[in-house]
Amino acid sequence: MRNSGAVLILTFITNLISQAAGVSSPGKPRLTSCRSPDKETFTCWWEPADDGGLPTTYALYYHLENSETVYECPDYRTAGENSCFFDKNDTSLWVNYNITVVATNALGKNISEPEEVDVVYIVQPNTPENVTAAVYDEGQGPFVKVTWEKPRNADTRSGWITLLYQLRIKQEKDKEWENYDAGLQKFYNVFSLHPGKEYMVQVRCKPDHGFWSEWTQTSYVTMPDYIPRERSLWII
Amino acid sequence: MCAFVSINGVGLNDLLERASQLSDKLHSLSTSLTNDLDSHFPPLGRVMMPRPSMCHTSSLQIPNDKDQALKVPEDELLSLARSLLLAWSDPLTLLSSEASSLAHPERNSINSKTKELQDNINSLGAGLEHVVHKMGSSSDNLSSLPFPISTLGQDKTSRLVNFHFLLSCFRRDSHKIDSFLKVLRCRAAKRPEMC
Repeated sequence: MRNSGAVLILTFITNLISQAAGVSSPGKPRLTSCRSPDKETFTCWWEPADDGGLPTTYALYYHLENSETVYECPDYRTAGENSCFFDKNDTSLWVNYNITVVATNALGKNISEPEEVDVVYIVQPNTPENVTAAVYDEGQGPFVKVTWEKPRNADTRSGWITLLYQLRIKQEKDKEWENYDAGLQKFYNVFSLHPGKEYMVQVRCKPDHGFWSEWTQTSYVTMPDYIPRERSLWII
Repeated sequence: MCAFVSINGVGLNDLLERASQLSDKLHSLSTSLTNDLDSHFPPLGRVMMPRPSMCHTSSLQIPNDKDQALKVPEDELLSLARSLLLAWSDPLTLLSSEASSLAHPERNSINSKTKELQDNINSLGAGLEHVVHKMGSSSDNLSSLPFPISTLGQDKTSRLVNFHFLLSCFRRDSHKIDSFLKVLRCRAAKRPEMC
């Protein structure tokens, strides 16, 4: 009893001193999101709260739904600051990961609300790659053919992940984009664009069950200045 | 529903194409049902919900990452999908009979989607029979995963909670089935560039 009394007094004094110095234990960190780009690996990110004015470290802990064993994040580096990367060997599907982040400084620690994550429900691919947009004419008047490739880390070839594509197109001055669903195809022909105008094209992809990727950087294509067929009779 | 009518003369690749369209539909439907249920769900229900490891299919050993899944021979991957499908026949009948009396404002939508689920697993089951036949698999080792429950509970809250729990188990299993069938589809594909 004497001991715990002494600890209490000590804690009280420490609190007084730290209040005077304007420092405190860390605020509660928050797990912001977890995403898998390929159904094979995943990353979780967190938002640090107030560090209490002291050097604060963060650690991510997890356990699987069918086990009590708690593991620490295997890799804090690969995905950048305030993140934890789970490589192939640390990623299992169809099982919930129970994840928490712990902030620690000299005055104490604070634990985030736990998050439950099953990797199959957080799949969001990277953007499609090598987008090209070029004008073709196969006799029916010019059209724009847009082509792209799958994000390189998505193994669509084996069927492990299935990606659907969408593109959108507009002139710089237009407010609204025009969307086109390309399905599983990695190209799309856009007809009835205005002659002599420059168009902006972007592409994105989505797994069969999951979230859309970001849009790609804009590609530009200019339609040739031709006379549309339906008007050509008039002019003659 | 009619995906597997006029089956004779259809190639393995087309059969698997149709099968994976159905399994895709099954998973999307179960996701949509989950969202319907989540729209009005008592906070207490979340606490009462059994852990996912309590699902009656959780004892089935399945490959749980890509490297493992791609190593599994085709007929085994197909057997896993069929075992899971078979294991859901009885529970879905139960869900289907309970859906119309669920204490939930989205009851009608939940009811019709549950019926649709049931129709879809029946026609996917029939379709996979044809796939087995077409693949000429000699062994037919389906795992039996008994479902010993005949009621969702006595009071309306536990009925709602157990409905939701079963559905979340099914949602996960339908994702497994869909993933395995899509791997099989790509192996059989005549146009691999579509994978």
